[in-house]
Amino acid sequence: MFRNQYDTDVTTWSPAGRLFQVEYAMEAVKQGSAAIGLRSKTHVVLACVNKANSELSSHQKKIFKVDDHIGVAIAGLTADGRVLSRYMRSECINYGYTYESPLPVGRLVVQLADKAQVCTQRSWKRPYGVGLLVAGLDESGAHLYYNCPSGNYFEYQAFAIGSRSQAAKTYLERKFENFTSSSRDDLIKDALFAIRETLQGEKLTSTVCTVAVVGVGEPFCILDQATVQGLINEFEISGEEGGAAVEETGGESGGAPAVEQEAAPMDI
Amino acid sequence: MIPWVRSRFLLFLERTIHLSILFNRIRTKYLGWVSSSLEQLFGVAIAVQGKKIKSRRTCFRLINCRSPPVEYSLLKLEHSSNALYVMDSLLSSEGDSQRTQYPYVTGTSVIGIKYKDGILMAADMGGSYGSTIRYKSVERMKQVGKHSLLGASGEISDFQEILKYLDDLILNDNMWDDGNSLGPKEVHNYLTRVMYNRRNKFDPLWNSLIIGGVKNGHKYLGSVSMIGVHYEDNHVATGFGNHLARPILREEWREDLTFEEGVKLLEKCMRNLLYRDRSAVNKLQIAKITDEGLTVSQPYSLKTYWNFAAFENPTVGAEGSW
Repeated sequence: MFRNQYDTDVTTWSPAGRLFQVEYAMEAVKQGSAAIGLRSKTHVVLACVNKANSELSSHQKKIFKVDDHIGVAIAGLTADGRVLSRYMRSECINYGYTYESPLPVGRLVVQLADKAQVCTQRSWKRPYGVGLLVAGLDESGAHLYYNCPSGNYFEYQAFAIGSRSQAAKTYLERKFENFTSSSRDDLIKDALFAIRETLQGEKLTSTVCTVAVVGVGEPFCILDQATVQGLINEFEISGEEGGAAVEETGGESGGAPAVEQEAAPMDI
Repeated sequence: MIPWVRSRFLLFLERTIHLSILFNRIRTKYLGWVSSSLEQLFGVAIAVQGKKIKSRRTCFRLINCRSPPVEYSLLKLEHSSNALYVMDSLLSSEGDSQRTQYPYVTGTSVIGIKYKDGILMAADMGGSYGSTIRYKSVERMKQVGKHSLLGASGEISDFQEILKYLDDLILNDNMWDDGNSLGPKEVHNYLTRVMYNRRNKFDPLWNSLIIGGVKNGHKYLGSVSMIGVHYEDNHVATGFGNHLARPILREEWREDLTFEEGVKLLEKCMRNLLYRDRSAVNKLQIAKITDEGLTVSQPYSLKTYWNFAAFENPTVGAEGSW
């Protein structure tokens, strides 16, 4: 009768040592439209793909400013993402009230991860169905973290989440060694290229993506559409011209997710 | 009725009632007057138990007396029951209050200045019990975390409590073990919040604090008062130091003061305080904090000269003085 007798609540282990509910939550992240992030020594760039639910609707916002020094890009359940960004905002405000200084990014990420973890250990809760790329700047430099519904978090040089993110990851893996010394504009350029990889045949325009930057001397801000379009034109990152790259990575993006599905929650 | 007037009147009432019990003979008559005037003033009736009680909205013991306990009830006529609670708390004895009503053992001024390489701070080691200089070796400057130095004047036990808060704070900060640490600015702001929060509970920490420190080559010097007033400056002082040391510092302080010049300047200020502040003692410490770390000097004394003409006969020309 039941397809799987171990996935009815979060706290039940399968004999193979897996928590299916948690894995389903992570699957929700993969279903969401793509979000990517990459960082240099001084800057972090977030970018995401905007997908409208229907022809008649607008798209949902996927990049949020948390504080002057922190921002997030989300993939998965947008509603959960908003709840978590509100939590992060209030944590930043409270820290600022007490210490009059910005909350260190790593600490916020740990608090966020702890919050997500609690949901994997309580029978009356459900995991958050959202993955967050947290970009921020603090006294130890620029940081990019990925927060997973499982309560795990990782720091990255560059990362991509959401649907067809494997293509972007492949692109980033090829280039990431130069990112540390990249200029702000080069980071944005690479972000746009990475985003383009996730678009299946669609043309990259400023309407289908959002880009945000935070860096030394620059508070977190979401670039406006005209600026993004200007950059796309400047870098000549339209659709067809990069077709070869899409094809090249197309094969890999087919293969890799199959491997990931075998992974237990702690692996990613 | 103005709450202040009301509370004052009720306190007066408490005392008169207490008296009236001592003079048992006139009690009935006196209470009659008290209760009728209370009725007139507040629309509240008061009665001795068993004589005139109609209802028992609030019934409490006003005073501990040796004679059999007498209970009074305030019968609410037209005031909200809230008002009665207020009266209840106002009438209850202040003896069991856990608040600092006034300071017991206090330290006097602390002075802090910025200098070329960091922050210098000076404080004497006296602890006054009222106007008696009761303790002679109280350390009033302590390190907070890696980058900060805290100096305190005022209630010494409250200072110790503040140090406890800060120990917790720094411990928790260190437990993150992530390379981030609280600097003097963060500590200063934290203390501002603590002081202001406590004064809002009408339970102030009876101190004036000075926070100095250096983090990443950036010098920081600030001050917080017992009610949460806070500011930053190149030189700060608490208490008498504000009147006797700051004018000197305004004249003589420079951005590029060397360590030796800084110490000399602080000693000049401390000597002035020693001459004119009766709570000051001639045993002081000087603390230095730079990017390299913190050092607090061994206690030492200043050379004094008390034979100035003004000290010989200080009241000459001051008519009416003895």
